Amino acid sequence: MITTPLIHVVDDDEGLRTALLRLLGAAGFEARGYASTGDFLLHPHPDRPGCVLLDVRMPGPSGLELQEALQRMDVTLPIVFLTGHADVASSVRAMKAGAVDFLAKPVERDTLLGAIRCALARDTLQRAGRDDADRLRSRFASLTVSERKVFDRIVDGRLNKQIADEMGIAERTVKLQRAHVMAKLGAGSAAELGRLAERLRSLSDG
Amino acid sequence: VNSVVSRKRRLVRLTVRLAGVWVAAGLLAAFCPPAIAAEGGKNVLVLYSYSRILPAVIDINNGLRTTILASTNRPIAVFDEFLDMPRFGGPAYSNTIVTYLREKYASQPPDVIVVGAEDALRFLLVNRAKLFPQVPVVHMAVPVSSLRSIPPLPDDVVGVPVEYDFSRTIEQARRWHPNARRLVIVTGAAATDRAWEAQLRDAAPRFGDRAEVEFLAGLPTDALLKRLSGLGGDAVVFTTGYFQDGGGRKFTPHESVLAMASAATAPVYAPFYTFMGTGIVGGFMSSYEAMGRQAGRMVNELIDGAAPASLRFPELMPTNLNVDWRQVRRWGIDEKAVPGDAVVHFREPTFLETHRNALILAAVVFLLQAALIGSLLFEHRRRRVAELAEQGHRSKLAHASRLAIAGELAGSIAHEINQPLGAILSNADAADLMLESGTDRRDELRAILADIRRDDLRASEVIRRLRALLTKQQFERQPFDLNETMRDVGSVLRAEARRRRVALDIRPAAASVTMVCDQVQIQQVLINLVLNAMDAVDDLPEDRRRIVVSIERVAGGIDIAVRDRGQGIAAEHVPKIFDSFFTTKRKGMGLGLSIARTLVEAHGGRIRVESRPGEGTAFHVELPAPDGTPAPSPAQA
Repeated sequence: MITTPLIHVVDDDEGLRTALLRLLGAAGFEARGYASTGDFLLHPHPDRPGCVLLDVRMPGPSGLELQEALQRMDVTLPIVFLTGHADVASSVRAMKAGAVDFLAKPVERDTLLGAIRCALARDTLQRAGRDDADRLRSRFASLTVSERKVFDRIVDGRLNKQIADEMGIAERTVKLQRAHVMAKLGAGSAAELGRLAERLRSLSDG
Repeated sequence: VNSVVSRKRRLVRLTVRLAGVWVAAGLLAAFCPPAIAAEGGKNVLVLYSYSRILPAVIDINNGLRTTILASTNRPIAVFDEFLDMPRFGGPAYSNTIVTYLREKYASQPPDVIVVGAEDALRFLLVNRAKLFPQVPVVHMAVPVSSLRSIPPLPDDVVGVPVEYDFSRTIEQARRWHPNARRLVIVTGAAATDRAWEAQLRDAAPRFGDRAEVEFLAGLPTDALLKRLSGLGGDAVVFTTGYFQDGGGRKFTPHESVLAMASAATAPVYAPFYTFMGTGIVGGFMSSYEAMGRQAGRMVNELIDGAAPASLRFPELMPTNLNVDWRQVRRWGIDEKAVPGDAVVHFREPTFLETHRNALILAAVVFLLQAALIGSLLFEHRRRRVAELAEQGHRSKLAHASRLAIAGELAGSIAHEINQPLGAILSNADAADLMLESGTDRRDELRAILADIRRDDLRASEVIRRLRALLTKQQFERQPFDLNETMRDVGSVLRAEARRRRVALDIRPAAASVTMVCDQVQIQQVLINLVLNAMDAVDDLPEDRRRIVVSIERVAGGIDIAVRDRGQGIAAEHVPKIFDSFFTTKRKGMGLGLSIARTLVEAHGGRIRVESRPGEGTAFHVELPAPDGTPAPSPAQA
C-alpha cells in the first residue's frame, strides 16, 4: 500500500486543471486531474492518503453534489473547494458538509498549498483514528464468547464473585478470563477497560 | 390770327418742342367765348403785356378765366388783348393800340380791366385817361420791384404783386451743389432782360464769397450755348431766360431756357414757374395760374360791387421751391436735402407706387410663403430634435437595461474571467517553484508561458465582449456580420448557460449576413430573449432545458428565432408581454421585452411571439433585409 498522498484535481477547465496539476507537481505533490465529477467517480482511486481539489461549478453534477455523493459512499477524502465566483449559499453548504476550505479563483500559491496541507493533515488524522478503531475492533473480535460476557459484566461494574455467580462458573475462572480480556484488549485496569468499551460503543453506533 | 400763326411758324424753326405750346394756344382759342355781351352782363377786359403763346400767359389766363367764369351765374364776357410789348414798342404802337382798344370796346365797355405783368400796367397807367378812366384795374404778375420804381398806384388800381426772388433760388442752388466753384448768370438783351440783369448784378456780391460769379449777359444764343456746353462739373447756372439775345433774335424766355438747359453741362436754375420742365432744376417761384386765380377772385368781388379800396388781399404772391425730380437725379442732388414743402415735378412714380397693390399682394404672399417655409423648417427641426432626444432616451434606457443584464450575468462573468486568471496565477506559481528547484525544466517552462499567454487572451476576450456590451451609449449604424454577433452572444451567455445548466444551441446562417444597424442593441435584444428563455426552463427536467437560437433569411428580411421548450406563455398574457412593467417573474421589472421591442422597432423591424402552453415559446425578431443581400438561401435547419 502506497502511503504518499495523492491529490485529486476535479475541474472542467482544462487550462486551469493543467496549471493546478503543474503547481502541485512542482510543490512536490502527486496529483491527478479529472474533467468532471463523473470522471472522478469512474476512476478507481486506490486507498491512498490524499485530498480532493474540487471546482464548485461544472457541467453535469456540481462539486457540491460530488461532495454529498462521496459522503454517502463513505469516502472520507477531505475536500478543498475552488470557485470562480464564491456565493455565500454554496460556501456555507460546502463548509457545513465538512469541506476543509472554500477558495476563490484565482488562488495564491501559499493559500492553495496551505489548504492542501491542511486537508492532507486531516486525512492523516482521520486515517490514524480509523486505524485505532480497526485495531480495537479486531482485538475485541478475538475475545471468546465467555470472555466477551465477562468483559460486558466488568464494564457494567460487577465484582468477580458476582460475575461467577451470574455465569455459574468458578470465581477463579472469572479471574483467569478477566486476565485474558485485559491482555487481548491491551488494557491495564478496569477503568481503562471501561474507556475502551465506551469507544467500541461509539464506533458500532457510527 | 393770321399774323400770330405766321409768327408761330417762325418760332417752329427754333425748336420742335414748341409743339406743346401750339396745342395750348389752340385750346385757348377754343375757350374764347363769342364777343357778345349779354344784356345786363358784365365785361372784363384783360390786357397782357406779352404774346398769347407765352406759357406764363397761358397759365395765368387759365387761372383767371376759370376763377371768373366758375364763380358766378351772371353772364360775364372776358376779352383778352395781347400787347406783345417786349417785341413791339414805341409811342406810335402805343397810340395805335389805345385807339384800337377804345374803338373796339366802345360798344361793350369793360366793367373791370385786368393787366398782366409790368408792361401792360405801365401802358394802362399812361393811357388810362383815354381808355375807360373810371373802370377799376386789377394787376397781376407785376414784380414788386417794378411797383417800387413807379409812383404809388391810384386807389382803384389793385393787385397782388409777385416777388421774383432770384437770391433765394441762387442760395438754394448753392446749398444743393456745395462743391460748385462758379456761379454763371445768364441774361438777355431786351429791355426786360436788362432790368433783370441789373437786379442780379446788384445781388451778385452776396454770392461772391464762396464762388466766382460770372455774367453771360446779352450773348448771341449760339455763343451762349457753346459756353454753357463747356462749363463742366464745378459750375451752377442761374438764368431768367431772355426775350432777345445779343444777336437780336427774339425768344420767349421759355424757349431760351429750353435751349440753355439742353446745352448746359451744369445744373440750371431759374425763378419762373413756366420754366419747369425745360430742363432746369428749379427755383423759388410763384405759379402763374395761382396769380391768375388771385386776380380772378379780386375781379369777382369788384363785379359784385365791392369798392376797390375795400378789397382784402395778400401783400405778395406766395412763392414755393419748385423742383424737377429728373434733374435732382441727373445732378446727383441729395434727395434728403429737398425740403418737405418743395413742390416736386416730374417725379416718375416708382415701381412701388405704380404697382402698389400688386406689390403688397406679392409681399403678403411672399411673407406667408416664407412663414410657411419657416414654420415647416421649424417643425422639421423640432421633430428632429425630438427624434434625437427620443433616440438618446432610448439609448440610455437600452444601456441601463444592458447594465441590468450585466448584473444578472455577474456571477457567470466573474467565473469566466477568474477561470483563466486562476490558471495564469497557478502556472506562474508553478514556474516559480520549478525555478526554485534548480533543475533544468526549460520545456515545461515554455509550455507554461504558452498557456499563460493563451489564458490571458481568454480573459481579455471576455472583457472585450463585456465592454462592447456595456460602455457604448450612442446609437450608431454600422455594418456587421450577424453570424459573428450571434457567436458573441453565445460566448457571453455560455457561462450563464452552464451555471443554469441549460444547453444553448446557436445556429448561425449558412452564409454570412451583413446587417447595417446598431450591433450592440441587436446583441442586447438576443441576450434578453435568451435569458428569458433560460428563466422559462429553469425548473424543468434536463431534456427540456435547451434553447435554440437560429437565423433564417425570409422574404423581405432576416428572422432571428429564440426557441425554448418551457411551459409557454398563458394566452391571456401574450398581448401584454411587450408592455412596460408587465412581468410574471418573481424578480424582474418587466422592462426587458418592452425595451427589446423598442430597439427592434427603431431598426425598422418587429418582434413577435408564438407560444404553445406546455410545449414552448418562440420569439421572432424580424429585421428588414440589408441592402445588397443575396437572394434568400434555402431555409436553415
